[in-house]
Amino acid sequence: MQLEADTSSASRTTWLDPSAWDILILSTVIKVLLFPAYRSTDFEVHRNWLAITHSLPISQWYYDTTSEWTLDYPPFFAYFEKILSIPASFVDPKIVDLNNLNYDSWSVILYQRTTVIVTELVLGAVLLKFIRGAVDPPTQRIISASLFLHPGFLIIDHIHFQYNGFMFGILLWSILMARNGSKLASGILFAVLLNFKHIYMYLAPAYFVYLLRSFCLSPSGQIEIKNFLALANAVIAVFISSLAPFALMGQIQQLLSRLFPFTRGLNHAYWAPNAWALVTAVDRVLLKYAKSTGTDLHINLAGVASTSRGLVGDTVFAVLPNVKPLHTFTITLALQSIILIKLWFHPTYKSFLTALTLCGYSSYLFGWHVHEKAVLLILIPLSLLAAERHAYFRTFVIATVAGIFSLFPLLFTPAESNIGVLYSILWFALLYLPLSKRVYEFPKSLSYVILDVLEKTYLGGFVFLQIFVAAFPVVASWNSRRDEIHNSGNSMEFLPLMVTSVYCAVGMVWGFMRLIFIYLHEDTTYQGQLSTIQ
Amino acid sequence: MGRRWIRWSHKRGMRSLVVPFIFLASVFLKLCFGIGSYSGENTPPMYGDYEAQRHWMEITVHLPIHQWYSYDLQYWGLDYPPLTAYVSWICGFVANLINPTWVALDSSRGIETDSSKFFMRVSVVVFDALIYIPAVLVFSRTWFGARSKRTQDLAFLLLILFPALFLVDFGHFQYNSIMLEGFTIMALNFFATEHDLLGAVSFVLSLGFKQMALYYAPAIGSYLVAKCILSGPTDGGRLFIRLGFATVATFILLFLPWIPPFSASPTLIIDPISRIFPFARGLFEDKVANFWCASNVIIKWKKWAAQEMLVKAAAILTFLGFLPSVIVMGKVAWDLKVWNKSPEEKLVETKDDPKPEESSSHTPILPLLPYALLNSSMSFFLFSFQVHEKTILLPLMPLMLLFSGATPGSEVYQWGALGSNVAVFSMWPLLQKDGLSLPYFALIFLWNRVVGYDPIGIIYTAFPFKSFVHLMSAGVYAAVIFLHFSEQIISPPARYPDLFPVLNVLISTPVFVCLWLWSIKCCVQVSWALTGPSGFEEADGQPQHRKRPSIAVNDASQMRSSFVAKSDRTRAVSLGPAQGKRVRRSSTRSAAGTASSTALPSSPSVFRGTIDSSVMEGRAAASPK
Repeated sequence: MQLEADTSSASRTTWLDPSAWDILILSTVIKVLLFPAYRSTDFEVHRNWLAITHSLPISQWYYDTTSEWTLDYPPFFAYFEKILSIPASFVDPKIVDLNNLNYDSWSVILYQRTTVIVTELVLGAVLLKFIRGAVDPPTQRIISASLFLHPGFLIIDHIHFQYNGFMFGILLWSILMARNGSKLASGILFAVLLNFKHIYMYLAPAYFVYLLRSFCLSPSGQIEIKNFLALANAVIAVFISSLAPFALMGQIQQLLSRLFPFTRGLNHAYWAPNAWALVTAVDRVLLKYAKSTGTDLHINLAGVASTSRGLVGDTVFAVLPNVKPLHTFTITLALQSIILIKLWFHPTYKSFLTALTLCGYSSYLFGWHVHEKAVLLILIPLSLLAAERHAYFRTFVIATVAGIFSLFPLLFTPAESNIGVLYSILWFALLYLPLSKRVYEFPKSLSYVILDVLEKTYLGGFVFLQIFVAAFPVVASWNSRRDEIHNSGNSMEFLPLMVTSVYCAVGMVWGFMRLIFIYLHEDTTYQGQLSTIQ
Repeated sequence: MGRRWIRWSHKRGMRSLVVPFIFLASVFLKLCFGIGSYSGENTPPMYGDYEAQRHWMEITVHLPIHQWYSYDLQYWGLDYPPLTAYVSWICGFVANLINPTWVALDSSRGIETDSSKFFMRVSVVVFDALIYIPAVLVFSRTWFGARSKRTQDLAFLLLILFPALFLVDFGHFQYNSIMLEGFTIMALNFFATEHDLLGAVSFVLSLGFKQMALYYAPAIGSYLVAKCILSGPTDGGRLFIRLGFATVATFILLFLPWIPPFSASPTLIIDPISRIFPFARGLFEDKVANFWCASNVIIKWKKWAAQEMLVKAAAILTFLGFLPSVIVMGKVAWDLKVWNKSPEEKLVETKDDPKPEESSSHTPILPLLPYALLNSSMSFFLFSFQVHEKTILLPLMPLMLLFSGATPGSEVYQWGALGSNVAVFSMWPLLQKDGLSLPYFALIFLWNRVVGYDPIGIIYTAFPFKSFVHLMSAGVYAAVIFLHFSEQIISPPARYPDLFPVLNVLISTPVFVCLWLWSIKCCVQVSWALTGPSGFEEADGQPQHRKRPSIAVNDASQMRSSFVAKSDRTRAVSLGPAQGKRVRRSSTRSAAGTASSTALPSSPSVFRGTIDSSVMEGRAAASPK
């Protein structure tokens, strides 16, 4: 009784309600406790960028090669680093010393980790705004909380080290503007975001079609010249403010070569769980099969060498035909055009959100040299759809579990990896239980039941996968201790990574198929609450 | 925050999942702590407590048992009782299976690889989950048996999030959750469910894990003796003999490998004993927030008096310190004893209150136990010899038990929050040395949020103050915040390098002294609630008078609204949860038809009245006319 009084008085006097405070405090405490955790090279990358932007004139930013971690984000991010570097130089001048490579004293850890937490507040603020004016505020509250506490952010930003929380904050802000009907603002924010990190180009086609159709054209197909000019000018202005200094110095060519290095391979070091991971795995299996049976397949010797190098570096297939960048682009664009045609004819908010997710999804599954961290591009917008209908929810669950699991290999030190796993389990349970009740639907036919069982089996398999991945090194070390002469465990070193990648890839591809099916049948079968927003 | 989330999950139909959630979340937090630094990280050649524990695993797994207490004593020789050694052996055995280099004899000294650190951290978490968490869970279910499920869950959450224990076990690195919390709380659970023998055994196990559990011994001992007094000369005597036998047998079992038939020579037993009780050390180490260290600022004890003299003084003061609770316990038992009454009186009693004597015989004094524990352990902490700053965990444990069931704003709540915060603060110099400043601030922040306590708000509302504890809290928090800030800005003058630790001691000690006095006050109050102050009995039979003692206990509560005052009253005899428990047990048992003979009442309807009145009636009936 007294408690009720407490909470109501608190909500009257403060601008954040108590449960939002709780989440903010809890998450901040966790993040602060993770300060001393393992840091990837991205930490040094960002420190180096602080040093570059602070100690060099702007004309040198994209030319500097003092460190191997050269600046390869668009100019807004460079300006952002420049702003961050000013307090940094007061905290500890050594942080912004260009030649002070691999500096990792407590001051720089404290400073950089704190900037991640502080800039992530953009995300928190936007998510709070999402609740206000939502179709179903209590459910949106759960989704917002889950996004703010997303294990992807914890693993990538707060342990591994990046600024994704901040940039997804801008993306969600832009989506929020689209929901609230201010499409011009949405377009501008997305243009700004593109100039922070160009990976968001994955999502650009959906934005382009959506804004063109619903903002620049009237419902009957007449061009709205005023809107069109406003949007075009605004976007051009954003790009000018970003690129102008470099254009004036004639550095656009250099800038682009930094942003788009086409010299990398099909797969990243650890295969992101996309379609190519499956293809590569099939190739490896075929190679084994060909070797063992002596079947007369055409075997590419470079590919054989590629397998023996484990998973690092460029991928060359041994049996299957090699994949070129052109192929990946063709497939991606073909899939995206299907989605975009649908979006063109149904330019509603929900349709846009789904198309956005699907654009990111198809780029992730079929893109060239995709990094596993890009999975956030799918999971974050997809979360907004989670509570729509049971079909969406199930897709969301599969993609989320597979996607987050695929991030675990980023953490390979024992303590951090267990923390990541445990956090994800807790997060998932707290999200799944309330939402699954909210969207439950009785299965319509036998095929639904079978599908349900299969999907649940797949999800249950992650438990065993995790046990396998955790136990493998221990068992391998036992074996190697037993027979040190044979040393057979060595070639199997990458097996857990490969299994993880393939297993997650199955889920990711299946999730994509589900979502695209739902999207194409949306207006007939799968109308949910968000359909009310135009 | 804790209340809010437990309510939310109950409403969302996740009632049954609250406990697993809390458990998993706590494991997660513990592992997050584990990422941080620990005592003695990167400080060769001796390192710290972490290395001591790891070294014990190393020696127990590689050496024969009779060398455990004698191997290379200069490098962290084993100086805890045998149960610690056995636990170390288990850990060492597992470590040896996974990766022998972690515990290789001698060559692994100071090993600090990621994986070995993780193993050590996990070993604490595992033992914590095996012993402490079940004990706390059972505690929240038995002692708060009469309270709502939400309260029980909240108590569970609060006890798991015991901040000082968190910092020491999962930050600094020790296995206190086994000894201090686990076995002692388990003993309390057994007492509450009337399994006194098992309780005694688990308390001995706690002693066998860490000799520090002796701090609780006066309270537990006097409780058991009081119980014997209550049961009457024949039953009590039998119980006394059984208890004695169980205690001695457990001790012998623990020390078995060092006792002649199993050891090579009878003198071997001296090794562990002399290691466990080092009388040769000084009065206090470093800066401890106890009486000796605080008064040392003015009176230089070490110059002023000889060592033996001080030992005696410490012993006498400690004895005087825990005496009140022992006396109260004995007096209550004597007042409530039922065995020397005439048969007619007994008959009258059974008419008034048809509780069979056996069931009411010992539970009346159970509510006293936590206060008595607080009293005795706090007096040890304040006055005894060779106290360590981490030892504050011991007095804190009963305080947290009381706190976990308290209503926000009540006196118990305020003292508990103050005690916990100051205890954590008193360990600040130690934690700072260990590189645990960030976890320290993070945890204090989180804990106060979880329990819904706002130190800053207390400073703001200091005047007009509502109670002594409120004013004191405000003053202490202001001082603490001031100290933390000035420490950042000012460096201590060269003449007083220990300026800040000493100030820390001077802030913390008064709080602990007040807690000690408060525990005495509470002991007396609870005893009044149980027996009634003398001269109170004339008005026996009139309800409004019967209520008086319980209000006296709870004037405590500072609650104005009658509703809250009432709910608080149940709480005050509070930790008189035993009453509620009895209600439940009796009804379930009789429902099941297993009401084994006389042990429990056969008519549960009697207990359906409010807990209050049943307590009061029981009291009135039992008190001498």
